[in-house]
Amino acid sequence: MGTEAPTVVLVDNSPAIKKLFQRSIKDLGIELKIFDTAADSWNYLKDNQPDLLFLSIILPDKNGLSLLKDLRKHTLHQNTSVIMVSSKDYAQDKLDAVELGVVDFITKPMPIQMITDVVIKYTANTSN
Amino acid sequence: MSNKYLRFWGVRGSYAAPFDSHLKVGGNTSCVEISADGHTLICDAGTGIIPLGNELVKGNARELMLLLTHYHWDHVCGLPFFVPAFLKEWTLNFFGPGNDRQDVEKHVSAQMKAPYFPVGTESWLAKINYVCPTNDTLQHGPMRITFRNVHHPGATFGYRICVNSKTVIYISDNECKFIEKSVSKQRSELNHEEQSLYDDLVREEHQSELEIIGNADILIHDAQYTTEDYNRKRGWGHSCYIDTVNMAIDAGVKELYLYHHDPNYDDEMIENIHQHALEIISERKSGLKCHVAREGLRVDL
Repeated sequence: MGTEAPTVVLVDNSPAIKKLFQRSIKDLGIELKIFDTAADSWNYLKDNQPDLLFLSIILPDKNGLSLLKDLRKHTLHQNTSVIMVSSKDYAQDKLDAVELGVVDFITKPMPIQMITDVVIKYTANTSN
Repeated sequence: MSNKYLRFWGVRGSYAAPFDSHLKVGGNTSCVEISADGHTLICDAGTGIIPLGNELVKGNARELMLLLTHYHWDHVCGLPFFVPAFLKEWTLNFFGPGNDRQDVEKHVSAQMKAPYFPVGTESWLAKINYVCPTNDTLQHGPMRITFRNVHHPGATFGYRICVNSKTVIYISDNECKFIEKSVSKQRSELNHEEQSLYDDLVREEHQSELEIIGNADILIHDAQYTTEDYNRKRGWGHSCYIDTVNMAIDAGVKELYLYHHDPNYDDEMIENIHQHALEIISERKSGLKCHVAREGLRVDL
């Protein structure tokens, strides 16, 4: 059993969403890493597998689902737990996300407690 | 007559509308030609690209760049009938959303397969280049092109094209102010702290939308729905024209072309939309020039 705090990664360039995530996990003993762009996140994710990864769809440099497609080709991320977080609640995006093996798709605006709940749910088996 | 111009070859969204009552505006689906110093750029390949192709083969150019905003049928359905693709002396460069060249090729080719079409893209004799979609900036002759993701189902690009010191922005499919409407709808379910955070998010998204279209000399933008139809079709990825006009005013756009007209709207209805758009502009004391994108309309750049 490890002793390190579970790592959660958020890829989203919105300051408001970053604040919302920081607020959501502040009492959970989680290490939250935040990246603004797909390129910045790739620099970390190419060598690291977080316990849970939240991805926005409309990023400054890339579509979040395209980033996920790239990640799934990487041996490190074939089974990484990924949740899409987007204002885009279109059926086509949800279908694409399901085909790429996401564990959930959360539509903005979501309550703070919803993020807290899914972080607890998907990191439960990785925390000490 | 300037040798730098844009021309509308298809202005409808969703499906072609070749009805008598619609033809002052036009019936073909999305396609805009931008030409500069003999270089041809085509935005989208709806049915409007078919007459454009017939015109291009009469000229001297034998190479073009085709920008696809996405691969919904109203934006690609003219390609199987685009004559230059079937002529070996032509070179076609395709650019659109995707992870790599193979993705773009797959999406472009997908509609030309049995049982939907009798011949595949292997019947194209032109030299076809699929440009890597990870390039940040494209150059085609004197035209510099950048792109951004916009709010529409699936990966969809909006394009910024700089030519002759003018900026043309082409955003055929985009649902303006989506998060603002979502937050407004769910406001009562959010606590005070969440409301404050989401008010910030709405401001950020609004600013981001303005940046995408900011400094446009010419903005060609989705204006598909009336308010009533938008409320019925929220989530289809298209804008109410009122939001489009207000966004263009807020962003300081010089000229707006209302585009991607609903195929159910006849000439009279689109004229009514235009008149209302002009009223909004007047009420807001804006200098925005607003036009209806009409098939055949040519604008010098």
